[in-house]
Amino acid sequence: MGGQACVLYGAAEFSRDLDLTILASPANLSRLRATLAELDAEVIAVPPFEAKYLRRGHAVHFRCRAPEASGLRIDVMTRMRGVEAFSKLWQRRVTLRVDDGIVYELLSLPDLVKAKKTQRDKDWPMIRRLVEADYFSQRDQPASQHTEFWLLELRTPLLLLELASAHRVLCRKLHKQRPLLRFALAGDLAGLDEALRQEEDAEREADRQYWQPLKAELERLRHARLRAE
Amino acid sequence: MISAEELAGEEQAEWYSLTPLERWRESAKLWEVYLALGGSLDPEPDTQSPFFDPEASGSRPVDGRPGLRVVRRGGV
Repeated sequence: MGGQACVLYGAAEFSRDLDLTILASPANLSRLRATLAELDAEVIAVPPFEAKYLRRGHAVHFRCRAPEASGLRIDVMTRMRGVEAFSKLWQRRVTLRVDDGIVYELLSLPDLVKAKKTQRDKDWPMIRRLVEADYFSQRDQPASQHTEFWLLELRTPLLLLELASAHRVLCRKLHKQRPLLRFALAGDLAGLDEALRQEEDAEREADRQYWQPLKAELERLRHARLRAE
Repeated sequence: MISAEELAGEEQAEWYSLTPLERWRESAKLWEVYLALGGSLDPEPDTQSPFFDPEASGSRPVDGRPGLRVVRRGGV
């Protein structure tokens, strides 16, 4: 769902860690435990690998010790801010079968973009590239859902101007959902640039707010771990 | 219409133009080179992450660079 998905969707060329989103059911967790055991993966940091933490929105972090994957970081999540429940994500997933027959189940691009709207600097250029890559690959023959997705998620001012000028009716329809589209309709590049910054700032702040109670819980778990050591 | 090359530069536009399967193949080649050069799988600490725990962070990678590369450096 993370860096590897960004590679396959065209926003990056290389990712060193592995992020998984899973359904935190007992059977699934048991299968994951068995796989992690094969990789000799240990939980690092807090929280521990328990369904209740995953369901509350925490990520569980592992580092592999098996020689063929030594040092590899695996992060596992079940819930992410602004993203629908796992069952919906699974319905919308993109399946990629590669040369050796391995199947990758990826978050759909719209879900990945939503999941990337975090407080971290590095996620925002990634979102921009994810949507740009999709735009350039589908621009010549877009389906209506593509155009709507781009109008709602593009972060490249010049492309938003281009798109708004080609799809004015849809742009007007969507501008209640994304107020900055009025700058795109007006051809106001400076206004659009500023509005994109404000949109990003608001999402980053929302992410910080979302994490506040979870971070407090992580802090309590860290202290408890230190006391136990 | 703005081209990908104008907007993002030739290397990135080239990456954009690939299919997911082609990107997977190219990324796999980079992995081979990276590992052959002794690159570490352990990503550098992500201090902006809400999960960041200084006590749990791994050592800095041998190449000192981020775990996610966004710019192409060679032909595809």
